[in-house]
Amino acid sequence: MKRTMAFAKRNLIEVFRDPLSWIFCIAFPIVMLIIMSIVNSAIPKEAGNTLFRIDNLAGGIAIFGQMFIMLFTAIAVAKDRSGAFLTRLYSSPMKSGDFVWGYILPMLLTAVIQVIVSLVAAVVISLISDYSLSIAGLLLAVVAVIPSALMFSSIGFLFGTFFNEKAAPGLCSIIISLGAMIGGIWFDVEGVGGFMYKLGRCLPFLYATKLARAAITLNFGVKEFLLPLGVVVFAAIVLTVLAGIVFNSRMRADQR
Amino acid sequence: MGYAIRTENLIKRYKDKTAVAGLTLTVNEGELIALLGVNGAGKTTTVKMLTCLTKPTEGRAEIMGCDVVKDSENVKRLVGVSPQDTSVAENLTVKENLEFMADICLPKEKSAAAVEKTIKAFSLEEFKDKKAKLLSGGYKRKLSIAMAIIGDPKVLFLDEPTLGLDVLARRQLWREIEALKKNMTIILTTHYMEEAQALADRIVIMNEGKVMAIGTLEELENMTGRKGLEDVFISIAEKTA
Repeated sequence: MKRTMAFAKRNLIEVFRDPLSWIFCIAFPIVMLIIMSIVNSAIPKEAGNTLFRIDNLAGGIAIFGQMFIMLFTAIAVAKDRSGAFLTRLYSSPMKSGDFVWGYILPMLLTAVIQVIVSLVAAVVISLISDYSLSIAGLLLAVVAVIPSALMFSSIGFLFGTFFNEKAAPGLCSIIISLGAMIGGIWFDVEGVGGFMYKLGRCLPFLYATKLARAAITLNFGVKEFLLPLGVVVFAAIVLTVLAGIVFNSRMRADQR
Repeated sequence: MGYAIRTENLIKRYKDKTAVAGLTLTVNEGELIALLGVNGAGKTTTVKMLTCLTKPTEGRAEIMGCDVVKDSENVKRLVGVSPQDTSVAENLTVKENLEFMADICLPKEKSAAAVEKTIKAFSLEEFKDKKAKLLSGGYKRKLSIAMAIIGDPKVLFLDEPTLGLDVLARRQLWREIEALKKNMTIILTTHYMEEAQALADRIVIMNEGKVMAIGTLEELENMTGRKGLEDVFISIAEKTA
């Protein structure tokens, strides 16, 4: 545990001292929140489009922001693997679990800070746009998106373990684009239907968005909250275990 | 005085290439051994096997009596490694890098004192709050070695510690290594003759994964009838070519 925390502290410092982390993890989601709120204000009420209304938008942006956590996890792991820093640590008493949680824990903390900042910005926007958000819903959302933060961190960890410093960010960008589309962040995937919706139902991104939105609006329906919660928690557990197994086998392969 | 390292017919093969071909070596506690050889001689692979970074294909090796394969967890507690490439956390300060390694290698109550002691021993006071990425090449290497010794290892492995450094930085680092000699066994890989000559108690000359000669400089000179390590090395290398 001591070694996990020491490594997590090192990774947290690395993330916080990188200006790109602040831009992509904190500033970018807020900017998107503001831009999409402006777009929403331009949509006539008669259109009946509620996707960019602040209660829906805030949940979508929270998940969109977490996708950048995935990107940063992948970069951190791939960067360390490309240099000699991990070589030093492989010959220290650190075990594979120390590495996995040492990378994931700081990213979870960053994700929690990110969602709090995004939701505070959402509250400000809701006050300006005269739409009230439930404080209980916002607090629930902070907790409800932790499983998806773990899921995205684990995906990033896997990409960083499999691919090098150049390939990992590119592949994560594909996941960000794909995840945002089929995750229903920027348009109503259910409404579009067809292949897009079928694909969305097979992957955890749509469920993550639904869960965040349901938490904010305190909608505890099975389809809106419980099923997405189950899917996201399951995906997070599977991907985290997979990340541990893959990293362990990579460590062993490196030692052959 | 006991043995710090013992290897018996240590072999490492990568598919069709044999990186180390039957290394048998005994290193006494407190000794500084230089593994000398050209690029590809098998020096780094030897260090990797002895520090549990890669498994031997055949043969066995022990560090302070612990087998590097069967008892790797204990071996990892006994060794400190400064890899060939500078391996520091770039965005952390000098002090944070040392604190990080101390937290990994030492009990909590000993960490703070070890950090202060190491900063002082390596004269890093002036740079302790400076980010590692802003240090010069020489100071980065110094920090890399400081990180390797902070856990108080019994055996220290320095893989090409002065590679790419200017002459002043190299001499400064030699002084640091000299000071460490009293406290631990050191295995140093290098292809600089003068480095091996200046620092090592015994020199192991390696070529194409094989040990060509082992001994003190005097013994190697007597063996080849040449004076100075460079001539000794050339003589041995030419015989084996």
